[in-house]
Amino acid sequence: MDKPHPIHTMVEAAKEVFARPAYLGLAALIGLAAFVAQLWLPNYRLLGAVFATPEAAFALKAQLLASLLGGLFTNFDAVAAFSTVAVPLLFGIDVAMIVYFLRRRRAQLPRGEIAAGIGGAASGAIAAGCAACGSFLLITILSFLGATGALALLPLRGGELGLLSMALLLLSIFLIARRIVAPAVCEIRPHGNTPALKEQP
Amino acid sequence: MSHHLTLSLLGWAAAALLIGGTLAADNAAAQANPTAAPGNTEFMRPVTPRDHLRGSPDAPVKIVEFGDTECPLCKRFHPTLQRIVAEYPGKVAWVFRHYPVDEIHPKARKEAEATECAAELGGNDKFWAYLDRLYEITPSNDKLDPAELPRIAEHVGLNRARFESCLQSGKHAQRVAEDVDDALVAGATGTPYTVVIAPNGRLFAIVGAQPYATVKLVVDIALQQRK
Repeated sequence: MDKPHPIHTMVEAAKEVFARPAYLGLAALIGLAAFVAQLWLPNYRLLGAVFATPEAAFALKAQLLASLLGGLFTNFDAVAAFSTVAVPLLFGIDVAMIVYFLRRRRAQLPRGEIAAGIGGAASGAIAAGCAACGSFLLITILSFLGATGALALLPLRGGELGLLSMALLLLSIFLIARRIVAPAVCEIRPHGNTPALKEQP
Repeated sequence: MSHHLTLSLLGWAAAALLIGGTLAADNAAAQANPTAAPGNTEFMRPVTPRDHLRGSPDAPVKIVEFGDTECPLCKRFHPTLQRIVAEYPGKVAWVFRHYPVDEIHPKARKEAEATECAAELGGNDKFWAYLDRLYEITPSNDKLDPAELPRIAEHVGLNRARFESCLQSGKHAQRVAEDVDDALVAGATGTPYTVVIAPNGRLFAIVGAQPYATVKLVVDIALQQRK
């Protein structure tokens, strides 16, 4: 029997999961939280200083929070801006699908899915920021390794990490989607004296 | 059950590592320099006549920018601060200090020295004219041809031969190095890094090339701080 195309598998699983508003909401909430965190966290000191200022009206403070979101268009190059939007979106989808799978099937999740998901989110967090301006976590990590100069050799100057993050998250989504669309069957083990029945999602 | 517990612990550990790593990154640059205090704007060098200042020296709000001439976001941020200074005459002054990120822009340090040569030969106005022109023509990411540096000097009305002599001497390398030390002390981990100083001395550090609206809001909040 032909294996279904990976994209078809992911679309079918997404239809099943996101037909339920609760999971759609969960994905949106996680995606939005991850997105704004990428734009606010680098300026947490500024936000702390402004919010601790009694002279500033609350409206001004709220405006500041909103204005920092505009950094997406001024503080990133095209590749980094794309990653900044895509990684939180994929992360939200991934987490919502994992939660759906765990709740529906009450099954244990193999480490592959978890590892790909964590790897994608972690590399996305490390890649957040501007590689070309030395303002992201990867620079710090590489400087500890004495390998910062290696960034200059990369065509996207470190933006590759954002793309890697997206690839890992897509892999994680595909792996969990495959399990979601697979029918629940009972596997019969013919060998041994005591045949075991095991639910296989 | 224990498997779920392990995965949960793994997830929390990953989250803690990410958050801890992000926060640690703030101080990492300062720690790389043994003479620098931990990254904190409070330890930043005060604005003095030694600085290159655009706007009124008596302006109640000072904006200190730590910039790298080969950083594409500094190039993008330059017009934002030009607009801020123009729209707050007498209220906001802009100070530029050098923070060339050598690891990714090896040419930026010499370009910083070039701006200092412009200041030596033509004063504060020529420093700014040179910096404006440099940001205008550089493609960023270390792609400016060094042969352009004396051409920029000529373009802003400086004597080319004297400029070249100054640049070759390396006499301003120490000044640039002092600015880099100050950037690290102030907590800069990348560029542009901008510190808005309110009249009462309160400091607001802006990381990155934030939009005009953000800088304007911070300036407005700083102007509300009375001595």
